[in-house]
Amino acid sequence: MAEEMTFEEALSKLEEMVKTLEDGGLTLEQATALFEEGVRLANICHQRLESAELKITQLQSAFFSEAIENFGDEL
Amino acid sequence: MIIYNVSQVTRYLKNTLEGDTALADIWIRGDISNLSRSQAGHFYFTLKDAYGQLHCVLFRQKGVGIPLENGVATIAHGYISLYEARGELQLYVDLLQPEGMGIFQLEWERLKAQLEEEGLFEPSRKRPLPTFPQRIGVVTSPTGAVLHDIINIVQRRYPLVELIIAPTPVQGDSAADGIAEAFRNLNEENIDLVILARGGGSWEELWAFNQEKVARAIYASHAPVVSGVGHETDLTIADLVADVRAPTPSAAAELAVPDRLQLEKHLHLCLEALASAAEAQLSFKKNQCQGVIDQLRSLAPPTPLYRQRLTQLKEKTILCLKELFRDKRQRLHNLSLTMNTLNPQATLNRGYAIVQRSSTQEVVSRAAQVHPGDSIDVWVRDGSFLGQVTT
Repeated sequence: MAEEMTFEEALSKLEEMVKTLEDGGLTLEQATALFEEGVRLANICHQRLESAELKITQLQSAFFSEAIENFGDEL
Repeated sequence: MIIYNVSQVTRYLKNTLEGDTALADIWIRGDISNLSRSQAGHFYFTLKDAYGQLHCVLFRQKGVGIPLENGVATIAHGYISLYEARGELQLYVDLLQPEGMGIFQLEWERLKAQLEEEGLFEPSRKRPLPTFPQRIGVVTSPTGAVLHDIINIVQRRYPLVELIIAPTPVQGDSAADGIAEAFRNLNEENIDLVILARGGGSWEELWAFNQEKVARAIYASHAPVVSGVGHETDLTIADLVADVRAPTPSAAAELAVPDRLQLEKHLHLCLEALASAAEAQLSFKKNQCQGVIDQLRSLAPPTPLYRQRLTQLKEKTILCLKELFRDKRQRLHNLSLTMNTLNPQATLNRGYAIVQRSSTQEVVSRAAQVHPGDSIDVWVRDGSFLGQVTT
């Protein structure tokens, strides 16, 4: 389920966990669970950055119809 | 043939003048003379050169970029119309600039003043760029090196995005319309951020970015706009309207997305914070445990001490008991001696007798206790016998 998270969601959740853990007042079991989940989220973030591929799409233009063919060369 | 009223003619002249596009937006060079100021704060003056003159009115002092004095050489911008009440042709001035400025600079100053007054550059209007954009619109030429640079930079820094290229010419006659259309198209898409970019060029080549329709397109953009037009020294109207101005196209791309290396560093810091916080929790709990143990220990009875005391008590008790027994035994002995002397048998042994009334078993120690005829038991040393009282 967490695998569907965006980078931003995973990161902000991770930051939240760090804060909760730093605030303290948890049981040992809660703290351990948070730590494990945090490490997992950090791995997800890292993986997102590692495996991401830039997507590029192009809109139509009434003013630049001829150049659209050249666009492929540009990449 | 028709005979017209004066006002019909002045109205016709006014409409004709205002219908002329050349006169509706015109720059005129001349010297100021006959300057006067009305009570309402309007300025009236004449603009003239060696061969002609024009009546001028300036309704507000805002657009005045020169000291407003007679004899000052100026370039005025405005529109020409007819003041019907006097039948006078007037230049309605909205901007006065010093003589000597080029037309591009003049136009730039005029548009800047106008849009500034309309609030297009308001700092409070500037929107922050999203930290983690997902879809980024790019308004630029699809043929230049600029797009290539932008794609490379985004690829290197933060490839987690989709770039939506809205191609447009960025110089020439159709550039302003193309840029405006690109922004309109991007407004149809779900975009987090728009990069408006163009490489360096002459002031004339960058001119599209100083045009009103481009300024308004940027202002109307649904997503915040980061502009990177020309070099750092080229400040365009587009830059002023944009939510964030970057000095160059590359800088715009860098502002648009976070840096992967920084993010990795941040992730690392998060992990470290996580670990040290977890560790702190653990050692806190450990300390808590140790505290409880120490407390328990301090509350528990000091066993060896008790054992010693117990032994002492036991010995003492035994001692006491022994003493008590000895004491008791002594008393018992004494008592038995006393008892012996008090024992009636001892008296009987000495030859005395004890008389009891048979009916009540009471010992008869006085004569009045018995009457003639009463039965009595007489106890002697070795037993008893029955008797009767006679007298």
